[in-house]
Amino acid sequence: MNRPLIAFTFVAPALAFLAATLAWPLVSAFLLSLQNVRSVGTTGTWVGLENYQYILANAAFWRSTGLSFGWVIANAALQTLLALLAALILHQKFPGVRVARTWIILTWIVPTVVVVMIWRWLFSTSGGMINPILIQLGIVDRPVGFFATPESAFATLVFINSWRWFPFIALMMLAGMSRIPSDLYEAARIDGAGAFKRFTRITWPLLAPTLTVLLIVGTLLSFNVFDVIWLMTQGGPAGGTRTLPVLIYETAFRSYRMSEAATIAVLATALLMSFAVLATRYLARSGDER
Amino acid sequence: MRRPLRWSIALAAGLLVLAALIGLPFWWVVSGAFKAPQEIIARVPTFFPQSFTLEHFEKLLSASDYLTYLVNSVFVSVLSALVTLVLAIPASYAFFRLTFRGRETLYRVILLAYAFPSIVVLIPLFATFARLGLVDTRLALVLVNVAFALPFAIWMLRSFFASIPREIEEAARLDGGAPLTVLLRIMIPLTAPGIAAVAIFAFVTSWTEYVFASVMILSDAKRTIPVGFSGIIGQYQVDWGLLLAGASLAILPVVLLFALIGRWFVTGLTEGAVK
Amino acid sequence: MKKQLTLLLAGGMLAAPATAIADPVEITVWHMEQPPHRVERIQSLIDEFNAANPDIMVSQEPQNWGEIYAKAPAAVAAGTGPDMLFAIPDFAPILKDIGALESVADFVEELDGAHDFVDSTVEAYSYDGGVWAVPLYNMTLNLWYRESVLEEAGIAVPTSWEEWRAAAETLTTDDQFGMGLPANRQLYTDQTVYSVMVNGGASEIYNEDGTLRFDNPETVAAYEFYNSMMEFSPPDAPSWTWGEAEACFASRSCAMVMQFTVISTYENQAEGDASDLGVAAIPTSDGSDDNATIAYANAVMLLSDDEARREASKEFIRFLLQPENYGRFLNMEPGLFMPVTADGAMAESFWSDPMVQEYRDQIETVIANGQNGRLFGFTSGRVYPAIAAISAQNVLAETLQSVVVTGAEPADAVAAGQDRMADLSR
Repeated sequence: MNRPLIAFTFVAPALAFLAATLAWPLVSAFLLSLQNVRSVGTTGTWVGLENYQYILANAAFWRSTGLSFGWVIANAALQTLLALLAALILHQKFPGVRVARTWIILTWIVPTVVVVMIWRWLFSTSGGMINPILIQLGIVDRPVGFFATPESAFATLVFINSWRWFPFIALMMLAGMSRIPSDLYEAARIDGAGAFKRFTRITWPLLAPTLTVLLIVGTLLSFNVFDVIWLMTQGGPAGGTRTLPVLIYETAFRSYRMSEAATIAVLATALLMSFAVLATRYLARSGDER
Repeated sequence: MRRPLRWSIALAAGLLVLAALIGLPFWWVVSGAFKAPQEIIARVPTFFPQSFTLEHFEKLLSASDYLTYLVNSVFVSVLSALVTLVLAIPASYAFFRLTFRGRETLYRVILLAYAFPSIVVLIPLFATFARLGLVDTRLALVLVNVAFALPFAIWMLRSFFASIPREIEEAARLDGGAPLTVLLRIMIPLTAPGIAAVAIFAFVTSWTEYVFASVMILSDAKRTIPVGFSGIIGQYQVDWGLLLAGASLAILPVVLLFALIGRWFVTGLTEGAVK
Repeated sequence: MKKQLTLLLAGGMLAAPATAIADPVEITVWHMEQPPHRVERIQSLIDEFNAANPDIMVSQEPQNWGEIYAKAPAAVAAGTGPDMLFAIPDFAPILKDIGALESVADFVEELDGAHDFVDSTVEAYSYDGGVWAVPLYNMTLNLWYRESVLEEAGIAVPTSWEEWRAAAETLTTDDQFGMGLPANRQLYTDQTVYSVMVNGGASEIYNEDGTLRFDNPETVAAYEFYNSMMEFSPPDAPSWTWGEAEACFASRSCAMVMQFTVISTYENQAEGDASDLGVAAIPTSDGSDDNATIAYANAVMLLSDDEARREASKEFIRFLLQPENYGRFLNMEPGLFMPVTADGAMAESFWSDPMVQEYRDQIETVIANGQNGRLFGFTSGRVYPAIAAISAQNVLAETLQSVVVTGAEPADAVAAGQDRMADLSR
């Protein structure tokens, strides 16, 4: 029996599938970036690295890159915080914990289009619930335009995206927590360690590997978030939420510069790839130590 | 194991905040769907509906093919979940248990699939699908959704396999079981909850996908729920009542689904566990 | 355009080809009128047409404006596009660019002879030596208000910018905004901004030689004025699209809005008192009465190469523009879509709709306002392909945002806007 061959037949279908659906389009995107194609369906000529020169010198590209970094970091921070709190709560024993664990996921199973519509409505000044509540609580005295300034629109979008994702991450964390042997906690309790100490000495260090995995995949996924931003603000106001995926879509389908869009995409991919390679290498190392 | 009172209070408060954060938006949407139009856009919104009407639902159901969208969504999502499993289970088993050259490198390459903006593949993929006659087919959506769910599914599964003690597998192998037999007879049954969780992950990924579904599908009869839903958002007018009714009906199927299998998802995740 | 002698021939052309043989020609129409009731109305017209023309089989596939810019070129390039595709002027150049369009000048001339098109609607599709789409319906922006609200505040309908601002100021109270104006980077804002520009003498974006003339004192003045109105508009206006403006008006949060129509929302979601709903032309900078507005002539493009399918598509368009059908087509959204033909504007099928009857005064005003309709980048025959990208990137709205949102000086913002247009024209 030929073991490597069997292994290969196990892996090959998945690999072939990913190559056909993801790798090949990526190659064609790279080829596209070396041409000067405008709208979809037209042809162009080869221009070498001209697009790269143009994009790298373009202020809008760098602004979007900065926004994408901010987006990833803000989302990671808020989602980790919310998810950790939720996971800690759901890790306790209380009546109805099963129900809570099941239904926390509600935000994640709703189509993004619906998520966007829900929040668009709730934040609006005509009929939305948020403004009247803020006014009644005396936090503001005039309705607030949540998408009125670049900063508040950005923050609101981070909130919406995190709202959608944090329950999923909380469950992943809960999964990590449930693998921590409970006798560790018992022992700590007997040693007289308080709840806070138990968290910092046991939960946190043992959860760290799970968190690292989630952080890496979460970073890649949230970097690529497009539909929520596009459907909510189309990158506005004043370009304040135009992250790289939005810029790519806009360049391709609004400015009709397919090749420039492909160039941005290739650059963004290079950026993410280097992050992912470093991160998975780190992961592989910490995995060996285990 | 009794909890001090202040912790119970903190826990209750935390739960309350959590419930409000997740539950309130849904309450407003679903209750709003039954309000009369004037009440929906009233300057001072009402927490409990003061009026009751089914007109939004009637309008939605009479004039849009909600049922068709639902059937399409279910079809695409179920098939995506199945194909994802068929591809992911052997692959992740091979990555975890069988040794072969370049294993770690390949494994990492698969994870890199998430490293490029999915929006990039839209156009090349459209062109390829057009050549294969796949544009405007639900199969095209299945292919795309599997591509997006597969890498994470492999990752999740690998750690589920990792939680099976090596001895069990060794014993089976010593009894002369071929890898495929070991996988089918031992590994899959033992990681069943985890596999269910991965299937649900793939299902939801597909259920919520919007961008590709909106571009790849041309005809109304093949639209999925997210795309069908975006269709009722008018260009020049927004009928909030209709939208809220549409949102409620778009939420309903997955809520029903989770009422049935939601527990498995959680137990699958927690028992399979991610490293 | 003048009515021509072809009028006499029109009757003959309308008769369906008598040679009904074998399989019917199957043709598809894509349109972006996706709300269910509009789809339903279009379907009933299609059913009628199919019944009367056994050799043709029309079917519709409603699409979404949000995706059509990506989808249509991709589908056409892949050979999976429709036979007919609805369009707005800035969308047509994209398809023309990829070689999907042939001039329909002859066909439009034939129809003009039969029904007499409103000139500006044809103009929006006439450039580069051809006519690229057949006008179907018109949309124009107007100023909407409630008579009672203005009366109570003791103000008259504004006719100049100065009066307009004064009215907005007076009408802004603790629980009401004087004038709901969007500042989103989106088509609606393009439309409102241009409607102000065009009433301040800044209707042209291009000089006759094709160079840009967006950056001029009139444009700057229009942006200055628009910006000064924003303080009377709700705080979430930077994210508004049409729907929010209507909701604001319907809920009485906004005293005035600039909108194509508010009729059906007003009827269904607000008090629906026809006698209280006021509509006026958009005020001019100096109060003169040559008010202009933005006009969106929606049209249909013919995409198939195949002669039989093309002919079948034409047959369907002829059917739609027939006065006895045309009104029902327009009234798929009563009060929103205005006729582009002279005989359509008088058609019984248009005026007999109950809601149109109820709001007859308002609709007549809207049609009258539309006579002086313009569209940025499609004026005076000065049309250049880059306008497609300029519209799609919403440069007018983008410029407004840099004034309203980031607080740039209007003059600087307009200069930057022109640079942006130049960059998109590369």
